[in-house]
Amino acid sequence: MRDLKHLIAFEKLLEEANNPLVRQAKEEGLKALGYTCYFMPEVLLDLPGCFSVRLRAPGCTSPDIATYYLSGRVCHYGRSLFERALEGGYNFLDAQMATETCTVTCRFQEHLGYMDVIQNPDFFVDFTDVPFKKTKNAIDHYKTELQYHVLNPLHEKFGIDTSDEAIRKAIEQHNEVCNLIQEIGSYRKLDNPTITGFEFQIIQLVSLTCPKHLILPMLRETAKEMKTRKPDKKPTYRCKVILAGSECDDPYFTQLIEGCGALVVADRHCYGSIESRVPIEIQDGEDALEAVARHYLKTSQCPRFMPQDDMRARKQFLADLAKEYKADGIIVESNKFCEYWSYERTIDTIILPRDFGIPVCSIEKEYINGASGQLRTRFQAFVESIEIKKIQEAI
Amino acid sequence: MKDLKKLVRDFWYGKPAEEMRMADLYIQPTGLYKHREWRGVKDTFYYMYMIWGYNYLHMVMDVMKYGSLIDFVKGLWRYRWMGQTYIPVLHWFDRGLEGLRGPALRGSAWHYRAMVCSTIRQFQTMFQADTKLHGGKKNDHYYHTLAIKETFWGGIFYGWSDKFIAQPLEMIPYFVTCHVNSHVVLNYIDAAQSIGLPGDPCPMCQAEEGLFVLDDVPDYSPLFFTVNEACDGSVGSTILQDWFFDKPLFALPMTMQFDNEEVMKNTMNEIEQCWAFMEEQTGVPMNMDLLKQRINEQNALQEFEWEKWDVAANTNSYPICGVAQALYRIYQSQYGTWGANDIWHQTDKKIRKIMENAVVNKINTFPKTRHRVIAWSCAPLYYSNWCSWAYNAWGLNVIINMDSLMFDMTLRTDTKENILYDMAKYHLWAPMRRMAVGGLHHIFELWAYMERFNCDMVAMYDQLQCKGMQGVHGLFEDEFRERNINAFWVPHALPDSRTVSRAEIRKLISDYMSTVMGEEPIDPSLLDFDDSQTW
Repeated sequence: MRDLKHLIAFEKLLEEANNPLVRQAKEEGLKALGYTCYFMPEVLLDLPGCFSVRLRAPGCTSPDIATYYLSGRVCHYGRSLFERALEGGYNFLDAQMATETCTVTCRFQEHLGYMDVIQNPDFFVDFTDVPFKKTKNAIDHYKTELQYHVLNPLHEKFGIDTSDEAIRKAIEQHNEVCNLIQEIGSYRKLDNPTITGFEFQIIQLVSLTCPKHLILPMLRETAKEMKTRKPDKKPTYRCKVILAGSECDDPYFTQLIEGCGALVVADRHCYGSIESRVPIEIQDGEDALEAVARHYLKTSQCPRFMPQDDMRARKQFLADLAKEYKADGIIVESNKFCEYWSYERTIDTIILPRDFGIPVCSIEKEYINGASGQLRTRFQAFVESIEIKKIQEAI
Repeated sequence: MKDLKKLVRDFWYGKPAEEMRMADLYIQPTGLYKHREWRGVKDTFYYMYMIWGYNYLHMVMDVMKYGSLIDFVKGLWRYRWMGQTYIPVLHWFDRGLEGLRGPALRGSAWHYRAMVCSTIRQFQTMFQADTKLHGGKKNDHYYHTLAIKETFWGGIFYGWSDKFIAQPLEMIPYFVTCHVNSHVVLNYIDAAQSIGLPGDPCPMCQAEEGLFVLDDVPDYSPLFFTVNEACDGSVGSTILQDWFFDKPLFALPMTMQFDNEEVMKNTMNEIEQCWAFMEEQTGVPMNMDLLKQRINEQNALQEFEWEKWDVAANTNSYPICGVAQALYRIYQSQYGTWGANDIWHQTDKKIRKIMENAVVNKINTFPKTRHRVIAWSCAPLYYSNWCSWAYNAWGLNVIINMDSLMFDMTLRTDTKENILYDMAKYHLWAPMRRMAVGGLHHIFELWAYMERFNCDMVAMYDQLQCKGMQGVHGLFEDEFRERNINAFWVPHALPDSRTVSRAEIRKLISDYMSTVMGEEPIDPSLLDFDDSQTW
């Protein structure tokens, strides 16, 4: 396929958190707000006057000082973020909008507040409590929390307009990003997709890590370009897979999978688009904040949700996704030391093949994948097993 | 003549600490004793009749009191965790009570007795309702027993306690068995990993799953209530438990940022929804008067606990050893009370008498004490009696521990609003939550408690697979240095004795005491011995 015009520029933007677009937004006088989890609604951090940056730590292979603080027995992602913070990589942040949604990122963010790591006198950390259910009670609670721990501090400390009108405006911008990403992502549903999982992940990641108003023109252009993009005459992949699981912000991991012959057609993981790029709809009688709270709880497929129906529905969701994207199998990944996904991955690995007949490749990975040789072997074997299954089905 | 006098004195009072050579009693590597520890005439006979004799007798009587002998035998035969832990119970007493004398021996032993009684009540509750022991039949007991996750506070169902028993699912099969026979749990951990669970999640949750994998969980309730306490692992393990159990499930999630006042409403609503689920499923309404009554009974236990803390903090006459204090407290506060005359209240009456006598007579209950130690974070379940060893070997007297301090509150009963508020608060302060994986400022309450209990040293548990506590490891190191606090780490993997052995734990402590503190052991025989096969 012909190269996408902005892909190399997008890739460069992902090399560091404080990328040129972030610096440009800071120069414009906007406040940079860091976050780590889907449950911190980025749309609220993109209110006029500020912008969201979902934190990553690309290239962090040996988080030595962070390992002293957090130990070597916690998730590499949390340690890498902290290492990058200690190196000064997040000094551009004006605030960290934190959530206690998994233990290690919580600890990372607590350290930011406790240790005076970020060299910015105005920097602060505020934690939002995120419920484990999607009920009315949970939505009300979440809404209150977002008001107390996101909107109020932004207004009080930075004078950000947090009115209903301002949130609606932010939703409008957010929805445009979502629609563009969905449009670009929809080409993965084609019989012969015109975008690779690697390319798509880069586009999705820049939409999470760059100021929206600066990245939007490039996204618009990319969406336009996609309309006329022609697929390779002969597909370069041997099967299609969904990548599901825990935190995954490394496009080279997707590239590794695709290098083994499995085209990644859907991304249901913490930094994926399946949930995060669903436009926010304000229903009748709702105010904008309530719509945001409802949206982020209802759309999430995170294993934090404990009600029986939610736990079971997650399997059906993945099965439906496989059908929609015409995937031949699912790669379920979890970062080493991730408690939630260790369990969810185990159950997915058992239930999806047994109850839905979907082949699953279950892998545990690091944040930065040094063990690519081992993973490559796993993926190659998975691709072969899918091909053998197809041959057997054809007989 | 002098030797004879000493012999008589040693016979009558027991040998002085520095001459005890406790490890000479062990048959290595089993940890069994060549002969009973001679504690002097009075204490040895007290141990023989009031601890061994009394407890063996009551281990039979309680079985009949709380269920039937037939169910007990069936359970013993059916469940690995049961069969392998009932026999070593008194050895568990021996390990925890080593080297104790006088009021300390008596007070600690009564705590053990209460835990055994409650344990029997609990497994008999499960066995009498268990379909697996009754040919698949669901009897009346089955429909009046509630399965709750072990970190779910049983007090939530106080309002139904005249008709239903809330029975923690894993407390006996997993938690208690680890203390009594540390080998039992290993099989469950391996079983959990055999279905694909990685080896790094909290081994407590792994073991809980292993019970299901090996079909070693009694099926005693039509319902299952779960909770997100204390950590991500509890949430994760619920995913697998629901799949195995396949029963109507109610999840009672606690808010994480529990210090913020605005989260209370959510937690209170969740408790009300839990009650509504219970009513809907059973058709039995909650009895608010009964709820208040039980809470008041529980408050009485808490008020006495505060008196105990006061004595522990301000005198040398506190008659409870570190292991008894920790286990009794966590057991009692989590399981809850089942009446004004239940075993907890009976025990507290006995302890009051022993404690008052020790205080009035100014008895130094732990005379070998060199350092007053506060133990922080979660203890190794397979070696909870490390503090008895540390006391005998180095004079390290564990005065108080984190688990004891969790539920530092009584609950109001004047209005429904206040009841709900306090119940929510109580549950939010669950074991391993508030001061372990909770916010940093709670974890660092250590410094205030250290001062309050007049401690000069910290035993810092280092649960290698607890992400929450691993995530503050470096900060603790920094704080210890900055505050010039003597602290030693106790690495472990909660129930899994294969990760860090008991001998390694002892070596680390001994190395710290000899190299950093520059001290000599009280009993050198305890520095190096093999107890690798000990229950």
